[in-house]
Amino acid sequence: MGADIDDGYLVQRAREGYVDAYAELVDRHGQMAYRVALRLLGNHHDAEDIAQEALVTAWQQLPRFKAGSSFSTWLYQIVTRKTLNRITRTRATESLDLLGDVPKTGDEPGQQTERDLTVDAVADAVAALPPPQRIAIVLRHFEGLSNAEIARITSSTIPAVRSHLFRGRRTLSQTLEQWR
Amino acid sequence: MTDPGQPVHDVRQLLSGTTRHLACGADTDELLEQAADGHAGQLTDHQRHCLHCQAALKEFSRVWEPVRSLAAEHVTVPATLKTAVASQIRKLIADVWYTFHLGDSGAIRIAARVVATIAREAARNVPGVRAAFGRSTHSTTAGPAEKATLRHHHSHAAAGVLGRTAVVDLAIAAQYGTQLDAIAREVQQRAIAELRAKTGLHDVTVNVTIDDVIT
Repeated sequence: MGADIDDGYLVQRAREGYVDAYAELVDRHGQMAYRVALRLLGNHHDAEDIAQEALVTAWQQLPRFKAGSSFSTWLYQIVTRKTLNRITRTRATESLDLLGDVPKTGDEPGQQTERDLTVDAVADAVAALPPPQRIAIVLRHFEGLSNAEIARITSSTIPAVRSHLFRGRRTLSQTLEQWR
Repeated sequence: MTDPGQPVHDVRQLLSGTTRHLACGADTDELLEQAADGHAGQLTDHQRHCLHCQAALKEFSRVWEPVRSLAAEHVTVPATLKTAVASQIRKLIADVWYTFHLGDSGAIRIAARVVATIAREAARNVPGVRAAFGRSTHSTTAGPAEKATLRHHHSHAAAGVLGRTAVVDLAIAAQYGTQLDAIAREVQQRAIAELRAKTGLHDVTVNVTIDDVIT
């Protein structure tokens, strides 16, 4: 499939039942779904679960997709909503250990470099932020989205997004500074 | 209050929230944002002459550096993700005998064979139509949707239904001597109108093939 074929066309074809068109959308945006879920949850296994759920839900809800909208914005919405639900559900049923398990494939304990530990520690610190701050920080500083885009994705306002970003940056910086 | 003559170097104090402004009056959150966005080197006129701001920007950039490194890391998607999604969708498609609409009150489903029946009956009521039958088609429009409803084989009309999109194929035997293209258009219009009215399907395609005339 050529890169010149835009997402809108693929969505239209997918809505008509062309599953191959949706497979192309998964190819294009699957990494984003997984990456965002990973940064929000700090856990590879849960991230894969959420990404998978989000991509299937997006397919099921294609009839609701508004023509002219951005598929990636829509998918960001689904991923963040599902992640938030997962966090809330986990909190309600068991203690949430977002600072815990972050498996590193191929690395035995003790083989990790100092840099790996730092990167893992930062990932843990991000995943430990309160959910609204975490979502704002991940979308802004990991995905490079603007405050306006984040407001659209989170159904919030730009001032509210800024406020979450300010608090999130402070909290994260304080945590990182304590490790020095 | 910090001594206005001395640049603030205690970054913990700056981040604690007790000091929201530097001695020069600059907002620490704005400076942290500037550093986090990687713009610490793009100094404003004030910052070019302010040691407080320069020191804070330098410290904030250093603190934020590990976050930038993590953000720059390439994340490898598990190879199983795409196949798992495809597998789940295939399962859902195999079960798509229904149109479905998820509302706040629950799901509404209509069997695809019902969709086919509505289209066929609408076609049979068009003057000049002697018989309406389903036909298997491999046209570019109907083919994929028909494949999507893998097990759907209705005896009188073929219909592919996916979500709120339906593709129906009708084969018509017309009365000899009638205007065939006019009959085909009338069949399409009536079938589409009936399907929209009775099922709520919005995206409906009705392919009509007149493959016989009866005297």
